Amino acid sequence: MNLFEEAIIKNAELNTRRHFLKKCLSGMGALTLGSFLGGSLSSCGRSDLATGVDLNNPMKALPSHFIPKAKRVIYLHMAGAPSQLELFDYKPELQKLNGLDCPPSLLEGKRFAFIEGTPQMLGPQFDFKQHGQSGAWVTDRMPHFATNVDDVCFLKAMHTDEFNHAPAQLLMHTGSARLGKPSIGSWVTYGLGSENQNLPGFVVFVSGGTTPSAGKSIWGSGFLPTVYQGVQCRSKGDPVLYLSDPKGVSRDLREKTINIINDINKKQFQEVGDPEIMTRISQYEMAFKMQMSVPETMDISDEPEYIHEMYGTEPGKSSFANNCLLARRLAEKGVRFIQLYHYGWDSHGSNYKEALNHGFNERCQEVDKPISALLNDLKQRGLLDDTLVVWGGEFGRTPMRENRGGKEMKFLGRDHHLEAFTMWMAGGGVKSGYSIGETDEIGYYGIKDRVHVHDLQATILHLLGMDHEKLTYQFQGRDFRLTDVHGNIVEKIIA
Amino acid sequence: MNTVAKIKSLKNIIPLSLTGAMTIFAFSFSCNHKEKEKVDFNAEIRPIINNKCISCHGGVKQSGEFSLLFESEALSATKSGEPAIIPGHAEESEMIKRILHEDPEVRMPPEGPPLSKEEVEVLKKWINQGAKWEDHWSFIPPQQPELPEVSESDWAKNPIDAFVLEKMEEKGLSPSPQASPASLARRLSLDLTGLPPTEELVQRLKDNPDLDNYEKIVDELLASPQYGERWAAMWMDLARYADTKGYQKDRHRPMWKFRDWVIDAFNQNMPFDQFTIEQIAGDLLPDPSKEQLIATGFHRNTMTNDESGTDDEEFRVAAVLDRVNTTWEVWQGITFACVQCHSHPYDPIKHEEFYEFYAFFNNTKDADTWTDSPTLPVYTKIEEQERQSILKWIDSVNTLAPQTKYQFAHQIEEKETKLKKIKPDPLPVMSELPEEERRKTFVFERGNWMEHGKEVQPGVPGSMPDFPESFEKNRLGLAKWLVSKENPLTARVTVNRVWAQLFGKGIVETQEDFGSQGFAPTHPELLDWMATNWMHEQNWQFKPLLKMMVMSATYRQSSEVSKEALEKDAANYWLSRGPRVRLTAEQVRDQALAVSGLLSKKMFGPSVMPPQPDGVWQVINNPEKWILSKGEDQHRRGIYTYWRRTSPYPSMVSFDSPSREFCVNRRIRTNTPLQALVTMNDPVYVEAAQALAKRMRSEGDVIEEQLSKGYEMALFHQPDQKVLASLKDLYQTAYQHFKESGEGLENLGTKQMDTELNALTMTANAILNLDGFITKD
Repeated sequence: MNLFEEAIIKNAELNTRRHFLKKCLSGMGALTLGSFLGGSLSSCGRSDLATGVDLNNPMKALPSHFIPKAKRVIYLHMAGAPSQLELFDYKPELQKLNGLDCPPSLLEGKRFAFIEGTPQMLGPQFDFKQHGQSGAWVTDRMPHFATNVDDVCFLKAMHTDEFNHAPAQLLMHTGSARLGKPSIGSWVTYGLGSENQNLPGFVVFVSGGTTPSAGKSIWGSGFLPTVYQGVQCRSKGDPVLYLSDPKGVSRDLREKTINIINDINKKQFQEVGDPEIMTRISQYEMAFKMQMSVPETMDISDEPEYIHEMYGTEPGKSSFANNCLLARRLAEKGVRFIQLYHYGWDSHGSNYKEALNHGFNERCQEVDKPISALLNDLKQRGLLDDTLVVWGGEFGRTPMRENRGGKEMKFLGRDHHLEAFTMWMAGGGVKSGYSIGETDEIGYYGIKDRVHVHDLQATILHLLGMDHEKLTYQFQGRDFRLTDVHGNIVEKIIA
Repeated sequence: MNTVAKIKSLKNIIPLSLTGAMTIFAFSFSCNHKEKEKVDFNAEIRPIINNKCISCHGGVKQSGEFSLLFESEALSATKSGEPAIIPGHAEESEMIKRILHEDPEVRMPPEGPPLSKEEVEVLKKWINQGAKWEDHWSFIPPQQPELPEVSESDWAKNPIDAFVLEKMEEKGLSPSPQASPASLARRLSLDLTGLPPTEELVQRLKDNPDLDNYEKIVDELLASPQYGERWAAMWMDLARYADTKGYQKDRHRPMWKFRDWVIDAFNQNMPFDQFTIEQIAGDLLPDPSKEQLIATGFHRNTMTNDESGTDDEEFRVAAVLDRVNTTWEVWQGITFACVQCHSHPYDPIKHEEFYEFYAFFNNTKDADTWTDSPTLPVYTKIEEQERQSILKWIDSVNTLAPQTKYQFAHQIEEKETKLKKIKPDPLPVMSELPEEERRKTFVFERGNWMEHGKEVQPGVPGSMPDFPESFEKNRLGLAKWLVSKENPLTARVTVNRVWAQLFGKGIVETQEDFGSQGFAPTHPELLDWMATNWMHEQNWQFKPLLKMMVMSATYRQSSEVSKEALEKDAANYWLSRGPRVRLTAEQVRDQALAVSGLLSKKMFGPSVMPPQPDGVWQVINNPEKWILSKGEDQHRRGIYTYWRRTSPYPSMVSFDSPSREFCVNRRIRTNTPLQALVTMNDPVYVEAAQALAKRMRSEGDVIEEQLSKGYEMALFHQPDQKVLASLKDLYQTAYQHFKESGEGLENLGTKQMDTELNALTMTANAILNLDGFITKD
């Protein structure tokens, strides 16, 4: 064997079994099918040959394509799209233009959601200062987060294709603006499984009063098996649907019931020999454990006082802060993908809630301390090294003040903007205290190191050890992937 | 001499060179016998090409201007000016040279291991034999094969068995004994009606397990109205049926009349060619009936975007694209979506041909509007009857003399008010644009609807049978073409789909892909025999097809598996035992309701909302609420459960039902702890356990009797002593628990304090969670 061949074999060994199975079976004629089935199939369990999914243990942890930098993701999505111009993309020049009519050159050929006629330029509404050794500019609305900038990597020239919330959120989370595609968390758990079988592998929390505009599809599994869809942990009722036993049934009685079900099933297995029965037995055991471990994990009352102080959490309440603490608890337990949504960032200026000088302020207060606490907490537990934290909205906001209906509005606000916005990542193999991407003097266009949503997705998968071009699933005859036919890894931010 | 000519002349020399000639000679000498055998392109060559070559030399990429998709392309000149394959001259063909090249930088394929010796040899042999392409098997129309001769011939009860047995013998397997009457009755009833059998039916088969009696039962089940509900459930995934419009707003859409049409069509045993024509083009039939218009709801199940500020044309186009893809998925089992952007990477379909097909669908009136127009006013069956009787009454009064009629004035008014109160639902239907408003169809460059390429006319792909001159060049002609007996795919795909419903997987396991990337059929002759027989002898009817399948000895085998058979054939590809598969989402629900006695047999009408946890439906900007249905509507069959695309009924999602945003040809069957949580804790299933417990109590005075009866009501055989002891153990523990704790069992807002009943409920809950219950065996 020459070196070249050896390398190829090594590479093949590194390929996930899922990939291998698909590769070696697709297009295989019936002639060879029989001999294959006689051999290795029975030893590798009941896999769906067309998709490579291990149907008996679909969440089993699987090896990545190559050595990963991050083992899990905590994704903090700010639904509604926070203004980058009030948070991290500091534009003193824009301040100088405040109140002046927007030059027609910026409006030509552009479509906005609400801006009409000639809007006025709107300067940054808050003060900015540089922080940390990296000297990152941060708004005074985020005093806690400002202390974390040396652990953070900013992407300041993000851009997207969609300027309405639902399609932009879909694009951000599923790689496509249309419904029906799997979300990133589904892709990741399909590709990597999860490390804790007593908890769902892909967990979703929603705060801010409602789900994001695009609805549950942004954590849906699309055409992937439904087992990969995000499990929404709810703050009211069962944290996971149907988790709790009927009222009046004790844990002991449920355990007894499951033992009896499993005893009878074992006997059934001895009689009919179907290995599927053994899987069902273990799924019932797992369900029982999940009934214990999910409420345990969701109950934050056992956290010490200083932790509550740090996050600003109150047990039993539904808040972004509580969700941040829950995210840390799940990360600790090996959950693969933890997705938080916080609603209410759509600062048009059309009402109090949607005003930069009111609602936006409140949102900042709601997230600043918990996010900072989450980063510090992950760091002090040594979890930040292999946990990737992602923060951002679905698009950015215009440097112009919104003038819905061509009129001055009661509050200050900005319209949707797809050309430039800021996101940040931390931990999980990205550079810390780093910033990539620049926008022009008014924050309208990215002029250097622009990063498209698909690039971000490719990079997240890369950090998890997955090749975004190889993580595929065949549906309607096509190998689909998260990044469709796009996506370039943002090499510059990888530590 | 210019460079190209020089290369050409050099290449011409190669076969004359001594080494080349020697190699060919030596090879043909040593493999003399094998060399004479004709290489089977589909079995031996296509898999190599598809796995190793086609991702760079196919429909999407043609690296070096070389593509292996079509024979004509593969044999024509590449970028070098020379063809890469020279028929009859393997050694001289650049393709072989590159595959054998010593330099890994130059060797093909560039990634992954080099081709094996055997692969190279068979490729060479094929080129030497003339490098002939063959159509992919599924593109060649099926011929009815001869029945094979088999040794164990008294086992075989019908042609299916002969084909199956032949394969079994080939693999060294032998058939399993027949399943027990009880097990068979349950399997049969679940397969044909989606519901467990009645105790009476099981007893009849136990009393007389003869084939004649079995056949009678088959006929009865096929004639029951529940048959239509069960098979319509299968069609719903294909039709992407839902009660909402999809996309962000996902508002209500009254589609239920289309679902009812499908149930009726199955119950009336409508031939599949008619079933097809009415759904695709019912509106274009001469003087279409109301029912035929309702059938066209099939392609109005596409999503509509109600979000303000969206471009209606963009989403109209998306709907038409979906109609094209769905038509191919459902009738041809060929995945077409990829051809939207470029030629098919694996199958012989060109980019342009996608839009020729698209042109058939591009001229309907619907245009992604808020009203979903055009629509047809529809009434429930009961409303329809009421309307008819009122109208009849009014008519008869109208015939009276004015003097007499006058006496009825008040009643007439009353009746008319009543009539007005019966409000129809607007069912979206297909309707063709008038001549002067017809749209032109263009190729979309790279699939982008805003980038128009050349204009195209309606047509079907060149690799498929011709579109007859006599057929209308519209949807109606298209529907006829799909179900013409020359179409190689429709019957195979449909027969395979029905087979998969009974046996757990298709003869072609990738039901969704009959193309060259799909799996080859395990029993190709059987598939072709059934497909041709279905078209020609069974007149495209489902009932005789199903009857033939369930009457076979193959179907009636026990599903018990020996260690040896499991090792030889873990997935039961060769059918040496009966099917053993988890029930579908709908069946899991229906069965629990049926055995507990809660199931409502009410058919048809608008979808219903059985209990669902609070908060599941909280979606922004949509005030529509899940309003718990009343009375028996809480216990209707799963097919009547309201289907919201962005938030489908959660317990069914746990059992792998799709969202219905797009057509899904095959549900993946997973086995997860979330499923256990549903059947243990979902109030719907707790209610079923409570109801079963009550039935159990009324069946005997002694606890053993009650437990035994409960088990039998669910599984149709008696528990043995060990199982009974387990159930009794559970009963006693539960009884102690409720007694000592003083707790009641609370479900759906009612607290039950009867200790005995609560303990029985826990055993019923266990019974409804047994593997034997969740599984069809």
